[in-house]
Amino acid sequence: MKKNQIDRVWRWQITASAAAALLIACLLGVGFGPVNLNFGSIIRTLLGLPNGLESEDRTLLLELRLPRVVLGALVGAALATSGAVYQSVFRNPLADPYLLGVASGAGLGATIAITNGGGDLHALLPIFAFLGGVLAVAATFLVAGRLFADPSTLLLAGIAVGSFATAFQTYLQQRNSAALRPVYSWILGELTVANWDVVKWAGFYILIALAVLIRISKVLDALMLSDEEAYSLGVSPQKIRMIAVAAATLATATAVSASGLIGFVGIVVPHLVRGLTKRATNRSLLSIAFVGAAFLVIADLGARTLLSPAELPIGVITAFVGAPFFLFVLRARNRGSQ
Amino acid sequence: MINIENLSVRFDNAEVLQSINLDIPEGTWSCLVGPNGAGKTTLLRTMLGMQPYSGSIKYNDREIAKNKSLNIAFVPQRPSIPAAMSVAEYVMLGRAKLDGWGKESAHSRNIVHEMLEATQLLGMQSQLVNTLSGGEMQRVLIARALVQEPEVMLLDEPTSALDLHHQIAVLNKVEEIKSTGVTIVSTMHDITLGAMYAERIIIMQSGRVLLDGESHSVIHSPELRSAFDDRISVHLLENGRPVIIAAKRATG
Repeated sequence: MKKNQIDRVWRWQITASAAAALLIACLLGVGFGPVNLNFGSIIRTLLGLPNGLESEDRTLLLELRLPRVVLGALVGAALATSGAVYQSVFRNPLADPYLLGVASGAGLGATIAITNGGGDLHALLPIFAFLGGVLAVAATFLVAGRLFADPSTLLLAGIAVGSFATAFQTYLQQRNSAALRPVYSWILGELTVANWDVVKWAGFYILIALAVLIRISKVLDALMLSDEEAYSLGVSPQKIRMIAVAAATLATATAVSASGLIGFVGIVVPHLVRGLTKRATNRSLLSIAFVGAAFLVIADLGARTLLSPAELPIGVITAFVGAPFFLFVLRARNRGSQ
Repeated sequence: MINIENLSVRFDNAEVLQSINLDIPEGTWSCLVGPNGAGKTTLLRTMLGMQPYSGSIKYNDREIAKNKSLNIAFVPQRPSIPAAMSVAEYVMLGRAKLDGWGKESAHSRNIVHEMLEATQLLGMQSQLVNTLSGGEMQRVLIARALVQEPEVMLLDEPTSALDLHHQIAVLNKVEEIKSTGVTIVSTMHDITLGAMYAERIIIMQSGRVLLDGESHSVIHSPELRSAFDDRISVHLLENGRPVIIAAKRATG
């Protein structure tokens, strides 16, 4: 620290490190599996240089592993960033991206697709899940009445809408017990459906939402203060909250419909980045997106390889690894602040 | 100079501020007093430009509703205390209007350092705000408002959460800020303290201004007692300073 000056709140080097972590995670993600690929060959193939992978290995990389890794990175970035944004908007460190009923709504949508459709509707599962998620959030806002008049009313409305959707989902499952297994498998999250088509549509919505969130990330810091202070600094807190929640909901609903319910990323990653950098600012949002992406790519690598050739649901890995690590960071941070 | 003319504010169907007229000279400290629900906080929020109103509020002839460039700082009674944010980071947010969000010039980092020193927070800049005591947090709020380099500072009950020692420390700091030319408008439950520091007292009741004038004359006025339903009494100390206490009503 220079004399008579406080430390910088944020340094670009932190963001650069997070980006590097994501690159390494992606390389590991495409390199390892039941068949291991050579890293040099992977890089040459991706850059279109001579002496890259050939025949089956090339197909394995470009048509199976790469779309899966890209989808994992997109979903991880979406969940982690949305979690961080919800935590700021609701001024609640325990807020997670599934808070406003999006998860239960998506779960209900997916269950409707699975129980009613047989083979035909199953292909439309992501669309049903997406619609279910968005409708549930819309219902939450409708129940809560005046937009953001009181964030805690919105949270409670989210719980009510979520419970209603879950109850309805359980009812459908009970009436159609054959659907139990596919529904639960979806609820635990899976990236096995990844192909370039899924990556394209999910990427489209997630990247739009993330671009909006990163763009407003600096102003989001105003929500750390009281509404009056935010206003005195030239920010309209209501407007920022609305944009932030809309974009975070779009990202979450897309992530859920592409990969099921992957828990824990939205809480662990923001706290991890904030804990390690000792910074609360939302200028960390881009880093949180990178780390969330890296986290899910590595978790998926574990899901694919730990019980190979069988696959573990990725949600099991994120919770299994995430929970103890999270507790460790929490303890370390609390010790630091005492 | 702040000129408030015929100011009214409605919430749904209730008129919470009614036909308020006030002239507040630059570089003075005015203190709003009155019972709960008199409209003090609403008046502060309206002066910040946050609340739709009819009538006019002008800062040096600029209407607040139309002028976002006015630099008015606000110190809230109930702050939002984020988890895991350091004192320095919190105070730095006050520079956002001058620097732009997400920017932190060397000059700003100097000013934050200077204000942390002025509010006796230096050495605590890495501490997390959610671990601070009430008195420390109040100083952080004032430091955050100060780095904004405001023309006007609005303080909502700046001493309500503090013990006597810290009340005086905070009020002395505000007095120092006033001496640099900043106009101060505060609400305060403790009228004795308000009269000690502010040169003007504005008595409010049921959304109206009952009386507005020089502190000592207002304190002895019948309007003050009537605003509190005659439940206060004013006593003079040996040095002539007035002390206002709640009066015990005769029972039976």
